[in-house]
Amino acid sequence: MKVNFWGQEFQVNMWVGCLGGFLIAIMSSMFGFGGGPFMVPLMSVALGLPMYLVVGSSLLAIFFNTTVSTMRHYQFGNFDLIFFLAMFPAALLGGYIGPQIAKRVSPLVVKRVACVGLLLLALNLLGVY
Amino acid sequence: MKQVVFRLIVASFIALLSATVPLTAMAAGESDTPAITEETIATAGAAPTINIDKTTLENGGTIKVSGQAPAGMPIYLEVWAEEHTVKSNLFDSKKDKETGKIPYIFYITEEMPAYYKIFVPKEMQPKIDAAKKEGNKWSYSALLKELGADIAYNVPAAAKVDRYQATLMASVIGSRGKLLDPMDAKENRKRSMQLVKARFRSVGNVVSADINVSPDGAYTADIKIRKGLSPGKYKIVALSSKELKSEPAVFENRISFPTVYMSNAGTSMNLVYPFVLCLAVSIFGVLMGAGGGFIMNPLLITLFPALPHTIVAGTVTPTVLFSQGSGIFNYSKIKFISWKLGCGIGCAMLLGGFIGPKLTEMITLDQFKFAFGWILIVLASLMFWQTTPGYIAKNKKEQSILNEFKKRALEATKAKS
Repeated sequence: MKVNFWGQEFQVNMWVGCLGGFLIAIMSSMFGFGGGPFMVPLMSVALGLPMYLVVGSSLLAIFFNTTVSTMRHYQFGNFDLIFFLAMFPAALLGGYIGPQIAKRVSPLVVKRVACVGLLLLALNLLGVY
Repeated sequence: MKQVVFRLIVASFIALLSATVPLTAMAAGESDTPAITEETIATAGAAPTINIDKTTLENGGTIKVSGQAPAGMPIYLEVWAEEHTVKSNLFDSKKDKETGKIPYIFYITEEMPAYYKIFVPKEMQPKIDAAKKEGNKWSYSALLKELGADIAYNVPAAAKVDRYQATLMASVIGSRGKLLDPMDAKENRKRSMQLVKARFRSVGNVVSADINVSPDGAYTADIKIRKGLSPGKYKIVALSSKELKSEPAVFENRISFPTVYMSNAGTSMNLVYPFVLCLAVSIFGVLMGAGGGFIMNPLLITLFPALPHTIVAGTVTPTVLFSQGSGIFNYSKIKFISWKLGCGIGCAMLLGGFIGPKLTEMITLDQFKFAFGWILIVLASLMFWQTTPGYIAKNKKEQSILNEFKKRALEATKAKS
């Protein structure tokens, strides 16, 4: 399938994209997250697309996933309103404060720290410690 | 005339005497259960009595229970939250020993008490320790039988348990399956026990050996109610057998802001903690360039194990929805999104998002943690790979084009307006 972006044309293999998106969507909605960090490598590596195309489009794709997932979870009674209201303002605030700090911090360092943190968390979940 | 008066006086004196005898017997016995006195004289085993030292708790505390059980008979305390119920579900995917087939039946109840615990005499501690040693494979019904406590298991047995026959087709369209006929009382009771374990998970949450029993049948127990449980009225019943049980003693658990009860989750929590956690994670997520959902989930599960994983998954998802939405809005303003590509893949993701949440119900917390652990390892390595020099070099060129595009887009929109 051909995609047009700012005057440049890209050939996108929609079979791979849709299958990958489908599987990522199942997994991420099952576990309650959006799937962004999985979509970006999918689109940039498996589909061979450049980063400037991937950033916005992956966001759009996982928006669909998150919306449907929210509706289904609500249907199943997995949604706790008070809990949500406790976290929602914090998310909004974070989205506002984050970019202010982002100018002064190197994203590379942040990413490395995040890797270590995620690894520790993963080990905890797996019961290693 | 004198004779009549005299007879009257004697008659009333005798009446008075015969009235005081049972009255003194009542006064000698427990003061709060007068109805049982005749039984105490008539039958060998009488219903236990129960007393509690306080009737309100401020977000948990200890209640001293005491009373009198018939001498030589066992005594158990059944304690439950009266005012709040929670959901519990269980997916039976274990091979049936007799038929060799997997039933694939989904059990669910909405009437599980938000708190449920059975207290047994202190001598039974070794049996509880043995069950704890079994790790995740402990059986609630076997433990109750071993402790003789199944006579005390009453409230959840009465909870209505629905069962659904799950099929592959049903899973694909995301339905729970076909609703089967209600079970008989015995089967309902058996499945409710499995649902108690599914909800409360550890041995210590559902049984505790805390009752001191003396040879004459008098008993005392310290019931510790931990913080973060549901508010409202709780009931305690003392039982010596199926028929011999006391009147329920009632106490109330009170919580005050900022500790709030979350009815779906079944726990009370100080709301400041999730707020601060979410703030930290979302700031971090923005700095890192990825969303926060996949960090929030495992953090919430490890830091607050009282929260069921289905609730965590279901509540974190809409939280990230809004940040995604605002991101899309901002990007679309500067015309930075390829709608064709996004919607194309988005439709496939729509289907995936439809199926996923149903699966969350069907896995246990441990499977959830296990799977999530591996997901995080994959993610961590992906992100690390994104920081390697090779990737950065390739990315730099694209990043510069990206920034170039962003600048152009911003100028274009500025020029338009």
